[in-house]
Amino acid sequence: MKINQVMDIAIKAGKILLANGSEIYRVEDTIGRICRSYGVEAECFVLPTSIFITVIGKEGEPLSYVKRISERTVNLSRIEMVNSFSRSIQENPMSYEEAIKTLEKIEGEKDYKFGLRLLVAGITAFAYTLLFKGTVQDAIVAFLIGMLIYISKEKVSRIGVFKFFEYFVSGLIAASMSVIAVKLFPFLNIYRIIISSIMILLPGVSTTNALKDALHGDIVSSQFGITEAIFTVVSVTAGVAIILSLGLGWI
Amino acid sequence: MDLVMGEIFLAFIASLCTGIMYNERKNLLCVGLSGMIGWITYAWMLESSGNVIFSSFLGAVLVGLYSESVARLRKAPAMVFSIPGIFPLVPGIAIYNSTQYIAENNLLEAANTGIEAISCAGAIACGILMTSAVFRIVKKRRTQKS
Repeated sequence: MKINQVMDIAIKAGKILLANGSEIYRVEDTIGRICRSYGVEAECFVLPTSIFITVIGKEGEPLSYVKRISERTVNLSRIEMVNSFSRSIQENPMSYEEAIKTLEKIEGEKDYKFGLRLLVAGITAFAYTLLFKGTVQDAIVAFLIGMLIYISKEKVSRIGVFKFFEYFVSGLIAASMSVIAVKLFPFLNIYRIIISSIMILLPGVSTTNALKDALHGDIVSSQFGITEAIFTVVSVTAGVAIILSLGLGWI
Repeated sequence: MDLVMGEIFLAFIASLCTGIMYNERKNLLCVGLSGMIGWITYAWMLESSGNVIFSSFLGAVLVGLYSESVARLRKAPAMVFSIPGIFPLVPGIAIYNSTQYIAENNLLEAANTGIEAISCAGAIACGILMTSAVFRIVKKRRTQKS
């Protein structure tokens, strides 16, 4: 197989991993593993927004490839599939066409339907309210607000104002809806509703990945993840705080 | 006891739903169990010791142990199990209280609860880090031997 074909497979696998919320060390590991299984020695450097690979060709000429990743979501299923793909390629290196076909199939794997994700966001808020010792009435309100937040988060992130705006807006919505609900039904408990409904916005992925990257000595990517997590939490709480400082007196 | 069983079930459902939101498909049941184990440890420790930070730490350690071992059994990345698993441990109440005190302009209390939230987050981080570190050492030993 030609060297640029190996690089193509490696970069495609790396791109899927990075765009779906994998840790950085896993991306570097996978790219290295794929190149090694085709007998190519590659040097790669991955940042949360881009992949750089350099390979020394047969005549000693350096070949290099840079890939920017602009959109990042979380899809654990795709990460799992690329992970097992790279392991299977290590055991028996498949042909270029076959490998690209497999990767394209993984990339084309659909997310769950929006309706299901919406329902699940509501159920998450519902379950957390009861877990935090709220009443069933609290939980029902949290269920509705949780769904509303999920819609706003998805829609606002699609408009793409700037990275953390959707979290700010979701915080605003969560707090204002809870304030209105408590004003209408004074027996509700405002803080349980807010906590449980913003649960779906918490930056679990970036925090956990940042920790794992730190453990592998990837301090730059780890800093990126931690900063992202802090910005997310601050955006959400800023939204909540603004509404609360206006709304608590009103209730 | 009924209440406890209910809570355990809720923790399972909550983690499972988080898993679905992150588009996990194959190992959803194991993902739910991860959150359940974390919550049982956390709730039990909190009841017997009353220390939120230590309970969060221990909960995270258990989630870490569980996800690293299940990851090896199911041949999936450990993050698949640990991310939804630590969600129930997140110090949401402390973060909220801190925000509310800021809204009420009570900065002293805000700092108080804010530090509690940060310590809890740090404890969770520490728990996950320690377990992955232990598993990594074991793995390195094994590859060195072979």
